[in-house]
Amino acid sequence: MKTMIQTTLQRYWNPYVVLLIAGILSALYFGLTSTVWAVTGEFTRLGGDLLKLFGVDISGWQYFDMVHLKGTTWSRPDGWIVWGMFIGALIMVLLSNSFKIRLPQQKRRYVQGLVGGIIAGFGARLALGCNLAAFFTGVPQFSFHSWIFIVATGVGTFFGAKLTKMRWWKGRPSLTRGAAKPSTVKKRVIQPYVGGTIAVLYIGLVTYFFATGQKLLGLGALFGLAFGILIERGQICFTSAFRDLFLVGRSIMAKAIIIGMAVSSVLTVIVISVYDLTPITQIAALSTFVGGVLFGLGIVMASGCETGMMYRLMEGQVLFLPVFAGNIIGATFLAYAWDHLGVYDVLVKSGAKINLLDSIGPIGAIAATLVMLGLLYTLTIYWEKRYHHKLTIKRGAEIHAK
Amino acid sequence: MQNDKEADFTLDLRGESCPYPVIYTLEALEGMNKGELLQVITDCPGSFRNVPEEALAHGYTFAQDPIKNGQEYLFYIYA
Repeated sequence: MKTMIQTTLQRYWNPYVVLLIAGILSALYFGLTSTVWAVTGEFTRLGGDLLKLFGVDISGWQYFDMVHLKGTTWSRPDGWIVWGMFIGALIMVLLSNSFKIRLPQQKRRYVQGLVGGIIAGFGARLALGCNLAAFFTGVPQFSFHSWIFIVATGVGTFFGAKLTKMRWWKGRPSLTRGAAKPSTVKKRVIQPYVGGTIAVLYIGLVTYFFATGQKLLGLGALFGLAFGILIERGQICFTSAFRDLFLVGRSIMAKAIIIGMAVSSVLTVIVISVYDLTPITQIAALSTFVGGVLFGLGIVMASGCETGMMYRLMEGQVLFLPVFAGNIIGATFLAYAWDHLGVYDVLVKSGAKINLLDSIGPIGAIAATLVMLGLLYTLTIYWEKRYHHKLTIKRGAEIHAK
Repeated sequence: MQNDKEADFTLDLRGESCPYPVIYTLEALEGMNKGELLQVITDCPGSFRNVPEEALAHGYTFAQDPIKNGQEYLFYIYA
């Protein structure tokens, strides 16, 4: 028992296992509700709620109609996905006694977080989905816009990684001579009790939703909780998937995400055929590419995407407060720019909803998706090898110079 | 907790979020002479995994196992 508690709570889980479970759960969630695991749509609605709170008349804004801005965040299943994720992550952070207020030493990070958060929020909503609805849960829906989004995110991340490497951006670390003392550890451990209490209350709430017949809210709250637990325990970071490949030749997150998507795609195509469901398709247009590039750049600038930001904030990483605020500001600004600044006419209007299931049938769609993911996997390994190959050559040259 | 050898340099990364702990650690190691010992103090949960894994992948060795100290980790890496 003790070792089991230690493995589940003291150590982080293998990202491959976590993304495999996340892939299975998102296919299941789609089968049960006909909606997908997504977060930024709700961020836009939160922005709309805030505007209304400040007396802004948003009744004519097309974008809010499109994302079905109705009720409050507490009466929307998508809202409970978001709050469930926050709470699930928080519960795991507390149970593992790892909450700590973490303030960045480099003050420039707050500005980077806010600006990056705004760009990422704007880009995600322009493309109609972040790393979830236009990526991890978009590919398994066979919506072609997610294919464009993946390429575009890769491009944006590449430039983001270049920026991150610049001295004025990354700042100087505090390297000191000699050994330094670590922080003193508090003897009294109270976090797990707080976490346990929150968990019990939350399970009570989920039970209440189901008992009062609010099935969709209950499912949203329950799956949100599960996704929150998973991303925190697996330290799932979509930002790092591309970025770390470019920065330090690290590939584990990219590979785990690709495998998770492959499994989820196979399950989703089965769910769609068996239950005769309609897949969720978004417009593929120039906006998808532009949005994806902005999203890729923004998440690297902010050090976290809309999903990674959630559990980091719950860990007490204060940097992610401005990132969260930025995400909502960016998403809300896009909702304004959509019809008021002509974004729709210029970037979106010419596009079309393309779903691979309609264009090439279920067998073709799953085959094409698996080939595309296989290609992505091969490219990932190629980049990793290329990085380490270059490093060896560099080291060799240095030894010769000496 | 005491080392056989005192650390030559300390990199205090408390408060910094990913990817800066990895970037800073690799940068510090690159700037040090071979055989010198670097102590890294970090509290970003993502770095508990990517700092040691990337230090190894970049050819550096550990003087001892990582130490978990409350909500932070201590790493001892030879340049």
